[in-house]
Amino acid sequence: MATDLAPPPVKAAKVAGHKPNRAQTLWRYRWLYLLLIPGLAYFFVFKYVPMRGLQIAFQDFVPFLGYNGSEWVGFKHFVDLFTGPDFNRLMYNTLFLAFLNIIFVFPAPIIVALMLNELRINVLKRSVQSLIYIPHFLSWTIVASLTYILFSVDYGVLAGWIHEFLGGQKIDYVAQPDWFRSIIILQTLWKTTGWTTIIYLAALAGVSPELYEAARMDGAGRWRQLWHVTLPAIRPTIVVMAILMSGNLLDMSFEQIWLMTNNLNRGTADVFDTFVYYVGINQGAYSYATAVGLFKGVAGVLLIFGSNWLAKRLGQRGLF
Amino acid sequence: MAGALTLATALLASACSGTGGGGGGESNQADANTITFMTKLFGTAPNPQGELHQAIEKFLGKKIKVTWVPNADYQEKVNVTLASDNIPDVMVVNPKSPAFGKAAAAGAFWDLTDKIKKYPNLVGDEKVLLNSSINGKIYGPYRTRPLLRSAVMIRADWLKKVGLEAPKTTDDLYKIAEAFTKKDPDGNGKDDTYGLIIPKWPGVEFAASNPFNVIDVWFGAPNNWGERDGKLVPEFDTPEFFEANRFMKKMIQEGLVNPDWNTLDTAKWNDPFVQNKGGIIIDVDVRATQLLDLFKEQDPQTYGDKVLTVGNLSRPDGKKFSLPFSGYNDILAVSKQRVKTEAQLDELLKTLDKLASKEGQVLLSNGIEGRNFKVENGEAVLINQDDPKVKQVQDDVDKAFIQLGTQASTGTTGIAYPRVPPEAPYRKDLAERKERVAEDLKTAVFDPSLPVVPPTLVAKGATLNPIVTDARVKYLAGQLTEEQLKAEIKRWYDGGGTQIAQEINDLVSKLGQ
Repeated sequence: MATDLAPPPVKAAKVAGHKPNRAQTLWRYRWLYLLLIPGLAYFFVFKYVPMRGLQIAFQDFVPFLGYNGSEWVGFKHFVDLFTGPDFNRLMYNTLFLAFLNIIFVFPAPIIVALMLNELRINVLKRSVQSLIYIPHFLSWTIVASLTYILFSVDYGVLAGWIHEFLGGQKIDYVAQPDWFRSIIILQTLWKTTGWTTIIYLAALAGVSPELYEAARMDGAGRWRQLWHVTLPAIRPTIVVMAILMSGNLLDMSFEQIWLMTNNLNRGTADVFDTFVYYVGINQGAYSYATAVGLFKGVAGVLLIFGSNWLAKRLGQRGLF
Repeated sequence: MAGALTLATALLASACSGTGGGGGGESNQADANTITFMTKLFGTAPNPQGELHQAIEKFLGKKIKVTWVPNADYQEKVNVTLASDNIPDVMVVNPKSPAFGKAAAAGAFWDLTDKIKKYPNLVGDEKVLLNSSINGKIYGPYRTRPLLRSAVMIRADWLKKVGLEAPKTTDDLYKIAEAFTKKDPDGNGKDDTYGLIIPKWPGVEFAASNPFNVIDVWFGAPNNWGERDGKLVPEFDTPEFFEANRFMKKMIQEGLVNPDWNTLDTAKWNDPFVQNKGGIIIDVDVRATQLLDLFKEQDPQTYGDKVLTVGNLSRPDGKKFSLPFSGYNDILAVSKQRVKTEAQLDELLKTLDKLASKEGQVLLSNGIEGRNFKVENGEAVLINQDDPKVKQVQDDVDKAFIQLGTQASTGTTGIAYPRVPPEAPYRKDLAERKERVAEDLKTAVFDPSLPVVPPTLVAKGATLNPIVTDARVKYLAGQLTEEQLKAEIKRWYDGGGTQIAQEINDLVSKLGQ
């Protein structure tokens, strides 16, 4: 939050122009800088200080011996990871889910927002908007329980209906690896779409009505208006959301996947995040888990820089 | 980077918050007259000012401070605590967990191998004590459990309805499961029942004493590790293992097992049994008591006719093999963080020894005599349970302090007073249980690898453990053929299993000398 406060003073200083030296600028905007401190402190304490712990990825870390006493093994854990049986599976599962997220989850709120935008009855628009963002406030634990209640092969209500309707063999949706990704994407759509829609609706609200009027004067129909006015207007928002999402592509929702994993679908379900938790916290292999997490972190940083670069290449404003 | 830091942050946060997470938690530096503990909790944490807590402190002549951790999160909390600088003096831990093994090897805990014999109440059974060791090194007194607990619980009224006898062999079990599935044992005219109830087993260790392992052993497979042609081999590398799994696969594919056997929560294991959906549970024998409790709630008149418990079953050719348990559940390890000198250690062990005496164990697993129970014929009988204060004492015993007991009364072991409800069905169950245990112990297949922890398993267990565990489940679900299951076992060997087997053989033979 506080980082959002940082740019204005810097810009303001540039505008001010008459070669102020640094100390003067600092003093002049002291209150703004003061406001910045809690934010910086947050990032320092909770994001940078723990990075000291990343060194255990290169050690055979035993807590009792501490950072200094544990044996330094260099890249051993990374070699183990890249040559071990887990890496390909984790990479494939993570990327596959990320791909599905881009294809299905990312456009969903845009489409919903556009549809809501076309509604003319305000009461209806408001109530639909409220109803679809309610799931955002439910925890993944509840979403997972609901899924089990609806889709369990023994007592699942929805699974029962589908079975009655289609006939054939009963399908164990929550245990079959083939169904795992569909279930995860459905859950994500249900839980997150409504919330993200708000951002796009806000962007849509900012589109000047004059543009639509002008388009109508030129004889543009509904689809033409959508294509030539609405979409270009919210394009910067879409690009920023896309870049932000690319940084989190490898951050699968840990809780969600962990809760839906069982012996049968583990092969499909395991992603980097669940693996780090299982290996590190559950099995106590601190170093190996940290190595896996560090790899994932580096890959995430590369992705966000990459997509930012791409956005700029395509003539859009990037994030930085 | 957030993901990369999750773990580091978790460890750091635990290091900072160690004090706050504790039970009493005023200061990190508890004084010399205070012993800090960490153990499991099954309800709400007892108040340190509570009657029982005070009684225990008075008995020991020392202050105690206990960090109570909900059972479900225990192993995780242990792993995180081990990484903190706030390890309690006495920690209830699974000595075989990799994190504890590494910490112990690094010298974070006292090696009591040569010392424990000086404290008579802490030794217990020497064989079980060895089982609870790491390659012969003893890190603390174990918490005793009955050596044999596996049993089959069957709906007695259903059995009568379909006209079958109590099972003796696995074939009998199959027939009963088939009849329970197809012959409408609950008599509601609908095809809505099944035979065997199997839950989703938590964890990924292979030999977890789950229903699958029980059936493996019944068919003659080793209990985790066993000798074949002079060498120790894992349970799953024997023809008997495949025999057993063909049997289970048949039952599952024919619909004799609950269809949600991969997702049913273990906490809900009893539900299908008492809700007329399934009729057979293979688990520890004390589950029979829970089942009786549940049926008693439904109908206090007939609950005695609902549960039939039998012991281990023979395989089709009549040969019988029974699955024993390790005889312990976790040990009380002493950390070196605050107990630094031999003199301090001696002082602490003397206190633990006192706590492990009969009087101490009665406090932990029965409560305060004359307050919440009285002794009749050598048994504890609950009294004054209507008084909320006494009920609090009772809850503190049942949900919390019994978890500190090393010789607490659990089922058929322990030195405290056994507690048996006065009603006939419970008494019958316990009497039969004692006979059954004695009988099945004669055919028990012990796990020779219990005392050893191979280093490769510590290093690679996290990746290796799920391989065969998951492959077996997939085979049973019909997703893998027997050939593919064998390929997965080969993958286990190639990924490090070969080394593990070698180390187990070496370590066990070294121990025998």
